Amino acid sequence: MVVLKSLHPPSEGVRLQQADTTAVVDRKRLGSGTLFVAEAHLSWFDGSGMGFCLEYPSISLHAVSRDLSAFPEEHLYVMVNAKLDDEAEAEQLDKASDDEESDSDDEDLGTITEIRFVPSDKTRLEPLFSSMCDCQALHPDPDDVHTDDYEGEEYDVEEAEQEQGQVQGDVPVFYSYEEGLSQLTSEGQATLERLEGMLAQYHMAGVRNDQPSAQFEGMEVDSNTVAGQSDDADEQRFCTAD
Amino acid sequence: MDVSHSIRERTIAENSLVILLQGLHGQVTTVDLRDESTARGRVINVDAFMNIRLEKVLYRDRRGHVSSMDDLFITGRNVRYVHIPDHMNIIETIETQLAKIHRVRNFGASGGRKEYSKKK
Repeated sequence: MVVLKSLHPPSEGVRLQQADTTAVVDRKRLGSGTLFVAEAHLSWFDGSGMGFCLEYPSISLHAVSRDLSAFPEEHLYVMVNAKLDDEAEAEQLDKASDDEESDSDDEDLGTITEIRFVPSDKTRLEPLFSSMCDCQALHPDPDDVHTDDYEGEEYDVEEAEQEQGQVQGDVPVFYSYEEGLSQLTSEGQATLERLEGMLAQYHMAGVRNDQPSAQFEGMEVDSNTVAGQSDDADEQRFCTAD
Repeated sequence: MDVSHSIRERTIAENSLVILLQGLHGQVTTVDLRDESTARGRVINVDAFMNIRLEKVLYRDRRGHVSSMDDLFITGRNVRYVHIPDHMNIIETIETQLAKIHRVRNFGASGGRKEYSKKK
């Protein structure tokens, strides 16, 4: 809650400060002072060190108003969803919010404070507005369910796919012999051995298959000649006979 | 029209309909606030927390008084409705915004590979 009292100006995180700025609270002029737009809160102090401090979550909106029919001077308009005046009233509001479990629609409607900051230098209105926007963004609503969506590193879809070794589309994937072997399931491995064994039967003369084939126990496997009954093998014999 | 520089904000936007509101940059529209006031102006920026910045605004307060404001920033918490202009294609807008986020994300991750990207 906010009350006019003796505070010191912020010492750190001050984005902008503007001297010679009149504060008008609910149409009541408080005199000239210095406005501080700091990252932690928005505050204003008059010449004698009295001032007030606003928490960003309590600010509903802020604006640059140049509409002289609404207020006779160009100013920075700030709508606060709380009452500034009374400490007693501030305590009452605290009690009210304890009673309610749901959102604060009801208590907000009746309790707003309009604050106008009128700098003597009107060219400062836009920079003041902008730095307030930046500071406001530093205080997202803690009740908002979506601000919890972000947890840890941002999920990069492409990165994740690459890690799994599945490059989609563009590039065909080739395995070296060792890599290929490691990709086989045990079933696949058995199939590979069987097929390799079958190939071994049809080797050309002189090409030796160094590995003994357990699958061919029923046959005579002579490493010097071609095993099996293929036509190719017969032709080879004829050739070597020549 | 820029995608937020914050990873956190991009992630939040990607996972909620705020991304639709971010597609409203440059459009003139009306925002209804929770206290039943309304603000009509051009959308300058909507961040992941649904904070909305408008310019050249006609602001009607809850009592009905109208005033004009050059620049208005509404805290996300206080937004009740944002009117989507009739001429806008909602699905297209969402897809365009998502594509922008993905482009920003890929720029850092893939370096030279960007040249071969099929996206556009």
